[in-house]
Amino acid sequence: MLLKDRRALITGASRGIGKAVAEVFAEQGASLVIAGRDDGIQQLAATLSKDRQPVFAVQGDLTDESHVHELVATCRREFGGLDILVNNAGVLTQALIGMMSLDPVRHMFEVNLLAVINLTQYAVRLMAKSSSPSIINLASIAGTQGIEGVSAYSASKAGVVGFTHSAAKELATRNIRVNAIAPGFIDTDMTRSLPDDWYQRRVEGVRMGKQAGSPRDVANCALFLASNLSTYVTGQVIGVDGGLAV
Amino acid sequence: MNENRLVRCFTESLGVSENIVNDQLAYRAIPEWDSVGHMAMITALENEFDVMLDTDDIIAMSDFGKAKSILTKYGVTFDAS
Repeated sequence: MLLKDRRALITGASRGIGKAVAEVFAEQGASLVIAGRDDGIQQLAATLSKDRQPVFAVQGDLTDESHVHELVATCRREFGGLDILVNNAGVLTQALIGMMSLDPVRHMFEVNLLAVINLTQYAVRLMAKSSSPSIINLASIAGTQGIEGVSAYSASKAGVVGFTHSAAKELATRNIRVNAIAPGFIDTDMTRSLPDDWYQRRVEGVRMGKQAGSPRDVANCALFLASNLSTYVTGQVIGVDGGLAV
Repeated sequence: MNENRLVRCFTESLGVSENIVNDQLAYRAIPEWDSVGHMAMITALENEFDVMLDTDDIIAMSDFGKAKSILTKYGVTFDAS
């Protein structure tokens, strides 16, 4: 198992990519703290911990500082530290330039970018004694290439890319690796909420089979970045997009 | 008692001797207490006193004396000196 005796914190784990990451990490032997806004996070913890390592669920909103404190306190209390942080939680609001209300844009930046920065600041303190600490941020092809119709979302994810590069440089002195994954078009509740014609146009751009990727495709990349298979990899943004960005 | 624990956090995380740790010892006043040393010291404090410091308090912890006053907010008591 690639993550035996490793301790991971995963945000946005209720569904989609975050849930797949939690499943893969649990299969590979990691103990988990999983965070999500939905009631389902508790059920997921119960399922994942059955006959395996402990999984603790913390339900809440990452824009709420008390929720962040509870997450960090749970890692400290239950694990005594942390090896892996997966900053996955994100929201997407679609609107054309000229038709964007700023309130949902602000909220999107708070969840997609500010929460990443905030939680990373706490997590690095928990990683002080880890032998192989790794931070994995979920960016997006929208943040590396841009996608029309989601410019504000793209900007928030571009911020994640910039933060990843800078954090990798800054935290290398502490042996903490920081990488990002830029998923392309992945079949999740988030992408399924987009208009049909928009969805179809994106899928047609995928070179590998003209189909959306699965959350598991992204989770497997996260597994690589979390494990000792990637101990010499930091500051990278890895596309998981079936050739969409090529 | 807690002052001794605090001094030990400083000496062990910054790699300095006990005789230079006093209320006036300030951030960046010695090479060992740089930004990297600061975060190592914060981690040591949090582990030793089982507290979770707010980011504003981490930034404000600019000398040893301030470390004591900030930790007091988190329920750590020190004898009056």
